[in-house]
Amino acid sequence: MFLLWGKHIRKYYLRYFIFVLLGVAALISVDYIQLRIPEIIGEIVDKLNQEGSIDINSAYFANLIKEVFIVAAVMFGGRIVWRLSLFYASHRIEERIRNEMFLKAERLDLSYYHDNKVGTIMSWFTNDVESLSEFLGWGTLMMIDGVFLTTLALTKMFLLDYSLSLIMLLPIALIVLWGALVESKMSKIWRLRQESNDDLYDYSQENFTGIRVIKAFVKENQQIIEFSKHARKNRDINVKFTAVSVFFDVIIEIIIAGIAAILIGFGGWFVYGTVTGTPISLFGREVLLEPGQLVTFYGYFDSLIWPLIALGQVVTMFSQARTSYSRIEHYLDSDERLLEAVDAVDVDITGKIEFKDFSFKYKDSEIDSLSNISLTINPGENIGIIGTVGSGKSTLVNALVRLFNVEEGTLFIDDVDIMKIKIASLRNGVSIAPQDNFLFSDTIKNNIAFSDVDRDIEEVRNAARFADVDTDISQFEEGYDSLMGENGHTVSGGQKQRISLARAYLKSAPILILDDSVSAVDLKTEERILDNIKEKRAGKTTIIIASRVSTVMELDKVIVLKNGTLEAFDTPKNLKKNSETFSKMVMLQELEKEKGANNG
Amino acid sequence: MADGILVDKKIPLRVVVSRTLKYASQEKGAFIGAFILLLVNVFLGVLLPRITGYFTDHLTSDVISMQTIIIIAVASVVISIVNQGLLFWENMILTKAGQKIVYKLRMEVFEHIESMSQNQFNEMPVGSLVTRVCNYTSQLSAFFTNVLVSILRNVLTIVVVYIWMMVLSWQLGLILFGVVIIVFVISFFFSKIVHKLFSNERKQISAMNTYINESLSGMKIIQIFNQEQRYAKRFFGENRKYFNYRFSIISAFSVYRPLISFIYIASVALILSAGIGFGLTAGTIVAFYLYLGYFFQPVQNLADQLNNITRAMTAIERLFNLLDIPPEVLDVEDAVEIDEFKGKIEFRNVYFAYEKENWVLKDVSFVINPKETAAFVGATGSGKTTILGLIVRNFEAQKGEILIDDIDIKKIKISSLRRAVGQMLQEVFLFTGSIKDNITLFDEEYSDEEVYESIDYVNAGKFIRGLPEKINTKVIEKGENFSAGQRQLLSFARTVLHKPQIMILDEATANIDTETEVVIQKSLENIKNIGTMLVVAHRLSTIQHSDKIFVLAKGEIIERGNHQELLKQHGYYYKLYKLQFENN
Repeated sequence: MFLLWGKHIRKYYLRYFIFVLLGVAALISVDYIQLRIPEIIGEIVDKLNQEGSIDINSAYFANLIKEVFIVAAVMFGGRIVWRLSLFYASHRIEERIRNEMFLKAERLDLSYYHDNKVGTIMSWFTNDVESLSEFLGWGTLMMIDGVFLTTLALTKMFLLDYSLSLIMLLPIALIVLWGALVESKMSKIWRLRQESNDDLYDYSQENFTGIRVIKAFVKENQQIIEFSKHARKNRDINVKFTAVSVFFDVIIEIIIAGIAAILIGFGGWFVYGTVTGTPISLFGREVLLEPGQLVTFYGYFDSLIWPLIALGQVVTMFSQARTSYSRIEHYLDSDERLLEAVDAVDVDITGKIEFKDFSFKYKDSEIDSLSNISLTINPGENIGIIGTVGSGKSTLVNALVRLFNVEEGTLFIDDVDIMKIKIASLRNGVSIAPQDNFLFSDTIKNNIAFSDVDRDIEEVRNAARFADVDTDISQFEEGYDSLMGENGHTVSGGQKQRISLARAYLKSAPILILDDSVSAVDLKTEERILDNIKEKRAGKTTIIIASRVSTVMELDKVIVLKNGTLEAFDTPKNLKKNSETFSKMVMLQELEKEKGANNG
Repeated sequence: MADGILVDKKIPLRVVVSRTLKYASQEKGAFIGAFILLLVNVFLGVLLPRITGYFTDHLTSDVISMQTIIIIAVASVVISIVNQGLLFWENMILTKAGQKIVYKLRMEVFEHIESMSQNQFNEMPVGSLVTRVCNYTSQLSAFFTNVLVSILRNVLTIVVVYIWMMVLSWQLGLILFGVVIIVFVISFFFSKIVHKLFSNERKQISAMNTYINESLSGMKIIQIFNQEQRYAKRFFGENRKYFNYRFSIISAFSVYRPLISFIYIASVALILSAGIGFGLTAGTIVAFYLYLGYFFQPVQNLADQLNNITRAMTAIERLFNLLDIPPEVLDVEDAVEIDEFKGKIEFRNVYFAYEKENWVLKDVSFVINPKETAAFVGATGSGKTTILGLIVRNFEAQKGEILIDDIDIKKIKISSLRRAVGQMLQEVFLFTGSIKDNITLFDEEYSDEEVYESIDYVNAGKFIRGLPEKINTKVIEKGENFSAGQRQLLSFARTVLHKPQIMILDEATANIDTETEVVIQKSLENIKNIGTMLVVAHRLSTIQHSDKIFVLAKGEIIERGNHQELLKQHGYYYKLYKLQFENN
């Protein structure tokens, strides 16, 4: 018997024990009673052959027919019961495991998503969980059927005539043997086919993603040729897969036919001996076999075929389910890096931030993304961050929502070490509009009210007004109920940025971070947003990462980063004098302004 | 409208069928062969129970003979082997034909997708395209090999078995006809119900998967907004809904299957009573009993296939929808093929807007002579990149003319044009494969020597030769195993290898650490000599040796000249220069 055993699954066996038990009991009853049918047929054949006819009105015949109907009724009920209970259990387990997996996904940090593609994780959620549930449902059925029906049919065969049974035992073993033999081959080629499918999938995915390069270099033809290689390989492996699996079935059928022939030959021989009065001696005993018994025997054999094949299939299913389970287990057991300290505290954040000799290095990088940053931001200050690409601006603010662990004693919020603050409490107090502006396929209202879906529409509109996107949204046909994403409303990059900004603002957190949130909006809109920040965020800390220096000119202080180090942290006015990077950017911008003035 | 131009347009069934059959007709021979085999197959299949019945009849003392027994035993095994052999043959013919169709169709779809313009690509989600290329095509083949054949096989089996039954005993045959009608009607209605349930289930699984996918992709947002609980709750809801749909299917089957088997056993009782009543032999009764099994399965299978047909039809329809989208940027009819350009580029009063009259470029005119290096300077959004995009016809200007070697680029074949222009962009896209693959772009015409030559030309030789597997070093997805600078060097080598006459360099040096920057500057010095070069860069050091420098603001050229001339003008360039270099 095959049983999947592991800490993430065994608890469910107990939980759904009653269903499994009920299902198995019903299954066994059905299996047991359905063998009555060949017996009845055999009996009738014997009677017909001996007496030439049966009186259709006799009590004997009426009883037989009644029995057939009883059998049918029991089978009807039993089958309904086992299907419902076994599949209820297996699908419930599937559902629960998937729920567990989702909860796990929410506990994993960004680095996990960096190392594992979403597509891969998705396949654990879908294919692997399903192959597990298929084994638990169909697999259990096949296993019970296989073992029980085989035993039952074999017992009955032996009771009927053990000489004939002995003769048939060897070829019957062949079926199982063949099943086991082919199983290893099948699962190997099945894997190859899967790989080839993935291959094709990955290739086209990559091709369509990098189409810009292909078009730029006019390599469509090379790509088509390369694709044709993958497609041809896929074609060949599919043909091979069919060949192997059909061959497997064909051989099984031939083995069955062979056994049937043996049955006809030997059985016929025994019957011949019996009816002609010259019984054959075999295994030190005279074999007496009536024609009807042979028919019954044949019926038993017939009912043996499916369970034997099922036994073979169970092996395959089990090996697939086991692989799937191990993947799921590995996922559920993967490290959760963002653990809270045992003594982590809730902090009612007021908005003070202090970096003390703060350094950070991504795990697969050789150099520090940020090194030795020391600075203090006081509650209520509006702070800008500028610097070139890769200077560590986003890393600096991402640390504030603890998207990764930082070294203890280097970053303090309200004078509490960030590593000692409960994550939920921290993230309640710090709101961020991240650079990538990811929005969900939901209504605009729900996207903005992401942190609290119960907010009323007026509050949502307020946040949208803050981000200067209310007018835009109101012009959409369905306004705030417009759907975003795949099948929804298309919004421009700038609108997306502002919706993301509104989402961050709505939380009214003591610390608000705008990671490059105004890069795609025009200067006038930017100005309005900055005015809103000054007005609506008064008394609260706001940090703005900017690519244009104009964005930060009116802020209290500006952090200037250069290659991961702090070049300067001062008021814009002072920075013009003492920061090289900053003054350069100011000059560049003034040039543009001048041009604008000339033009206007 | 993120699905953009990939709309699900309804195509009349008649059209779908006739277009589908076109693909099948290419494999006509195979289908005819398979059909003949199928006929033989079905016939032999129903012969076997007949033999068993005959055998049963010859077991009584008056007719039994060892000879008959042996003949029957041998005959049944021989028939079975022949039958299975034919079955194997038939399956192989069909699979090969089906896979050939998939292959052809896949190539057709892929080639069609490749012919789309960059703009069209922006409007089609990559995922939907991949599904069409990979999954829908195989559903079409499954339609031929599984669905159609299964329908044929089942119908044939039913007909042949029925004829056999009528030959054996027309009375029993007639009775069973009633049973068959009942089974078919039940199965038909069942499949209608189940079809609906299945479609609910499919919709729900796709909704759930979308939800998982989106939650995983947006996990950062969920986490930083503390929304884990809400999302988990919603997921539990989706998951439960999925369970409910599936369990409703299971429940339907839990009634249907047992019901059919109940009817089956009831029919057995019917056969026994009627058979005995009509005074049939034991053999005939046994044969009927066995045929009954042959009868029920195909009837149920037929009902099942109805579901698969609709599924296949949807897939096919979507494929045709995709194939019906015409490529957007096409060559004009008399477009000329040009193997080698001299490299003169001229803009004559070019206007361009992405939408309506919001001009991104206004009245831009300039001439760049062969082998010259021209630089475009200006703030973000001043139109620099747009100029470069117009040259390779990523989009077309609304007003004015663009000429290369004094020929209007609209009259040049796009392939000629793009082959002549080597593009080096800020974002380098690398493919999974080797370094060599990424430089040749899987074009096998290039030898290793040529690859090394181009690598050395761009000063990447040292770094690549230092790798254990040199140009055969693996590049992982998106080239994440190389630094930005290294990726850029590979993109330079890629450009150099393809021997362009014109080169475009768009902020290719923007995102690079200082160390690699030096190497890259050197290689750019070399690359300049290949042909005409157009450079967009923020760093003035990259461009000060250019022959011509154009300063752009808000879509207009406001200053032009070489470095020295521009400095003398004491204009914006001068200020810009002072600003960048005084501080250093």
